[in-house]
Amino acid sequence: MTPILKLEHVSKIYPGVVALDDVDFSLDAGEVRGLLGKNGAGKSTLIKILSGAVIPDSGTITVDDQPVVMHSTRDAFHHGIYTVYQEMSLVPALSVAENITLGRWQKKNLFGFIPTIDYGAVRRIAQSALDELEVKLDLDTPVSRLSIAQQQTVEIAKALSFNPRVFVLDEPTSSLADHEVQALHRIVRRLAEQGRAIIYVTHRLQEIPHIAHTVTVLRDGKSVGTIAVKEATSERIANMMIGFDWQRVHRERSTSTQDVKLAVRNLSRAGVLHDISFEVRGGEVLGIAGLLGSGRTELLRAIFGLDPIDSGTVIVNGHEVTHPTPALMKINGMGLTPEDRKRQGLILSSSVQRNMTMASLDRVSEYGLLRLTNEKNLVQKMVDLISIKTPSVSVKVGTLSGGNQQKVVIGNWLNNQPSVLMMDEPTRGIDIQAKEQIFELMRSLAKQGLAVLFVSSEIEEVLDVCDRILIMKDGRIIGETLPSEVNLEQLLSRVMAEETHG
Amino acid sequence: MVSTQKEALATSEQPHAAYRATQFILQSGLLIAVILLFIVLSIIAPNFLSERNILNILRAVAFNGIIACGMTFVIISGDIDVSVGSAIAWSSSLLGVLAIKNGWNLEVAIVFVLIQGILIHLAASYIRVRWNVPAFVVTLALFISLRGAARLITNAYPVTPFPDYFSFIGGGFILEGIPFLSRGIPVPVVIMLTTFAIFYFISIRTVFGRSVYSVGGNEEAARLSGIPVWRTRMTIFAITGFLAALCGVLISSRIMSGASNIAEGLEFEVIAAVIIGGTSLSGGQGSIIGTFLGVIFIGLLGNGMVLLGIQSFVQEIIRGFIILFAVLISIWQNSLQKRVGAVAEAKT
Repeated sequence: MTPILKLEHVSKIYPGVVALDDVDFSLDAGEVRGLLGKNGAGKSTLIKILSGAVIPDSGTITVDDQPVVMHSTRDAFHHGIYTVYQEMSLVPALSVAENITLGRWQKKNLFGFIPTIDYGAVRRIAQSALDELEVKLDLDTPVSRLSIAQQQTVEIAKALSFNPRVFVLDEPTSSLADHEVQALHRIVRRLAEQGRAIIYVTHRLQEIPHIAHTVTVLRDGKSVGTIAVKEATSERIANMMIGFDWQRVHRERSTSTQDVKLAVRNLSRAGVLHDISFEVRGGEVLGIAGLLGSGRTELLRAIFGLDPIDSGTVIVNGHEVTHPTPALMKINGMGLTPEDRKRQGLILSSSVQRNMTMASLDRVSEYGLLRLTNEKNLVQKMVDLISIKTPSVSVKVGTLSGGNQQKVVIGNWLNNQPSVLMMDEPTRGIDIQAKEQIFELMRSLAKQGLAVLFVSSEIEEVLDVCDRILIMKDGRIIGETLPSEVNLEQLLSRVMAEETHG
Repeated sequence: MVSTQKEALATSEQPHAAYRATQFILQSGLLIAVILLFIVLSIIAPNFLSERNILNILRAVAFNGIIACGMTFVIISGDIDVSVGSAIAWSSSLLGVLAIKNGWNLEVAIVFVLIQGILIHLAASYIRVRWNVPAFVVTLALFISLRGAARLITNAYPVTPFPDYFSFIGGGFILEGIPFLSRGIPVPVVIMLTTFAIFYFISIRTVFGRSVYSVGGNEEAARLSGIPVWRTRMTIFAITGFLAALCGVLISSRIMSGASNIAEGLEFEVIAAVIIGGTSLSGGQGSIIGTFLGVIFIGLLGNGMVLLGIQSFVQEIIRGFIILFAVLISIWQNSLQKRVGAVAEAKT
């Protein structure tokens, strides 16, 4: 049987990064292929190539033995490849029927000359698409009133009217509840039975055996291999995802016996965080290992008072707080460097100096009056201490490199001399040298007695710098381990595969 | 390694110097425009340099200038306030009704009017932050209803007479007999200059002023850094409410009546001055000095067009285009700065 879709020697190079490196990939009719890989392994580049959003630098793509070149999403539709992204392309205010037929509404002329939408035809087309998926949805409901799962169904029904040969589903279950996942799997099987091929991208390893026939793993832009699903144990997949080239850096670690600086007791937030308790001591770097959507960022946000909590308490430096707010947590000696530095951490149009005293205005002022010389000295000292590369403290922070911007965010908090520092994805999108400097900084802060809470989607980073690791999944802490007790494969497979209730 | 770092620093100095030079020219653009306009008008506009005309200009800009200080903070914080003109008319009308119709002691009535100005704007800003209603909508509601309230309590007739001594704060002079301005400096102008000085100081030297910029530059980052976003926004509106009430009192004194038809369209003239002064409507950027120049620029322009005998409807058309042009310049300026910044980054 000839494959429906075939990629040969496909490469894509961005400045400084080889996103895809000589990837071969082929897909048969009726096949559901799981596509796995860590962040940055090349999954999203591959998807973008298949959806026509990105043009590969070299290599060929053939659909049904015909070589194709896709310059736009429209080209991809035309060649029978349809990609359903996590962020859906639906218009919230329009109805299910209107969304399914979006852009292809049948027209009829009222009184022979006023063009109007032929709602009869629109509803007929939409209904037949839903029938094909064997799902029931009210055609006239605005999409904004549907659940995420239902919206996804609408998106797939919309795709069906293009009659695609290949479906690409990008993390389709990342925001679905269990019973919704079942329903989606039914739809995917139905599509496969119709002879279509499906590329199924997921982070959830445990759903692979239920839905995929075969699994392809990408790593560093290369295809590591394609295996049948029955050979795909989570250990084996973790192994393929990581490779053998990763070496643990030797760092000085400690088992801290200092006072508890931060204690979280029975923290819950409906649907997001469930009964979370843990402690961090001074001098300790505590890591939280969890996948996207495991609740790791939400946990930090809840502790810092950015999102409301339903129950539980946070004890910082002995002060018990039941209703945290950022201002209150700051007074109690806590800091948070947020995951998205540009949107949440910095005022890009403002100077390095102003960005680095946002959290410590009280320390550079008396009676509400700024001491500008003190401020400049304080900032300059911090710039030197954590080696921020900037022409001066008065340049706009937006002109610095990602790593230096991240250091500005960290410096902003260090200037307030916190005793607990929570760092959410401090290494996202920065170069290796800057990463290493930030890890060293974390270790040295711990040595000075700070309690550091570190969240990263890069599991090896957590293993690399932390003294102790909490494993988080579905809003719960499902385990705790010491870096010396696990290797990366074990940790990764626990993070990905372990069932919530043991 | 050390030498390459040094090189990197050395090359980074150059774009930085260029960056600063560009910044200076771009930022002084308005100052140059004001000076040029002044010179041109001195030459071509009859009587422009007369004492009487200069007084007119100063008086014309005084009330706008006072309000523009508050408006600058509002816009830097990423909000907008279109209610100030109506708030002025309401305050003037209320002062007239209380002091003249109801026979209140004038000083007590003034204090009352100033306080209610603060309270109304505080209430509006609470709605703004509590339910995240766009400031435009909240102040639009005030814009419409305060004007209506002013007409309601006065029946849309001016309320007179105030006692004679009241005319000093809006129509009086100090420093009589100084060179050139033999009648002295109008009191509202003194109040305007004082307001600008105070606001300049607040914007540069206080924690509150810094918070205004932070909240407007990136509200989320400000909140995450423990800056009290709500309190900052509400304080800004309270200040603007106070300034509007103050202007209501001053204008009442100037025209010696409580009137509901004053300051119509003033909000947009003030917003225009702030924008021309380089404050960005998207928040986070702007300066009191820029606003001062913007107010002067608009004052000179309006006065010059009158002196040159340009028909008043044509004046409006010209004013509209000048605002558009000023915003275009500031957009070009931003993209130019980004380019200069990008060069600086590329070289480091």
